[in-house]
Amino acid sequence: MANSLENLETQLELFIENVRQIRIIVGDFQPQGQNVLNQKIQSLVHGLQEIDKLKSLPQEVHIPLEVFDYIDQGRNPQLYTKDCIEKALTKNEQVRGKIEAYKKFKTLLATQLNNVFPNELTKYRAIRGDERTVT
Amino acid sequence: MMMADQFRKAEQYSPKSSPRGARSPVVSRQDSTGTLKTTISLGKNPSIVHSGPFYLMKEPPDVKDLTGATNLMEHYRLEHSYNKFSGKKVKEQLSSFLPYLPGMIDTPGHQDNSSLRSVIEKPPIGGKELLPLTSVQLAGFRLHPGPLPEQYRCVNQTPQRKHKNKHKKHKHKAGETPSQETQVTEVGQDTHEKKHKKQKRHDEEKERKKRKKEKKRKKQKHSPEHSGGLTPSQHSSG
Repeated sequence: MANSLENLETQLELFIENVRQIRIIVGDFQPQGQNVLNQKIQSLVHGLQEIDKLKSLPQEVHIPLEVFDYIDQGRNPQLYTKDCIEKALTKNEQVRGKIEAYKKFKTLLATQLNNVFPNELTKYRAIRGDERTVT
Repeated sequence: MMMADQFRKAEQYSPKSSPRGARSPVVSRQDSTGTLKTTISLGKNPSIVHSGPFYLMKEPPDVKDLTGATNLMEHYRLEHSYNKFSGKKVKEQLSSFLPYLPGMIDTPGHQDNSSLRSVIEKPPIGGKELLPLTSVQLAGFRLHPGPLPEQYRCVNQTPQRKHKNKHKKHKHKAGETPSQETQVTEVGQDTHEKKHKKQKRHDEEKERKKRKKEKKRKKQKHSPEHSGGLTPSQHSSG
């Protein structure tokens, strides 16, 4: 899979390079350059054929649509990864905060319940299979 | 202590006050049979819970394999990306991600109709076989000699880059539109410089050898004239 993707990448790069060379030839065209231009056009067709052969390969590659928005705006797509990681970090901190708060609440509640309803809490623990004492 | 008193008082309340009427578990009844109460819940996951004196007691949720307790970055093999991007500055432009791509790629795609969105929304017509062009078809690409008009030339200009690309293939990309002639002359100059340097080195070596030979000769002669100080050339070589 990785090799075939690399192959596709190489083919695309070759195609781009061909187009770039054609641009140079056409930019200041010399009469003796006609044969070279013809060859380059044929190699463009060949390049398209090669890319067409490889088009089914990246079907297993999943790309988030948002990445395309970054590229369309002329932005580095790595910024999308960075933004996702930053979002995950923020969310992680929030969730961690919630977990900590719930843990504290559970401890406090169990302590208070143990003070007020000691028998019930012992029964409750017996049902839950938690024999730990509340501190 | 206050709470305990309130609980005892609740035992004396009428069952009517409970939302479940006479069946309210708030009204504690002594378990004469000695068995614990059970709650049977139907639905997707039917379960029987020995709730005892507890009202609305449910089974704790199933422990799932993947929760926030596990390091999800590690699980999805994203640690490398995390270390790479977390807290580090990433260059904003698309050209910094694709440095070898010719042309102006940092402009918004919708401006020159090159957006990837448009490819998804309006997929290109495909399915036709790609065949090499015949000589008749190629005749359509016969061009007039001469440079392109100015208006088309500026479209092809690549942005100036601060750093020179190390990649040999794309060396000529930095700067204005390169032409065949400039490329050739550049290469020519390069090779000329190299040759010149080589020749220079060769000459220097020759001189060095000459000096050494002279030195040897002088030593062999042992003449009082030459036994004194060193000549300026000997100074530099010694």
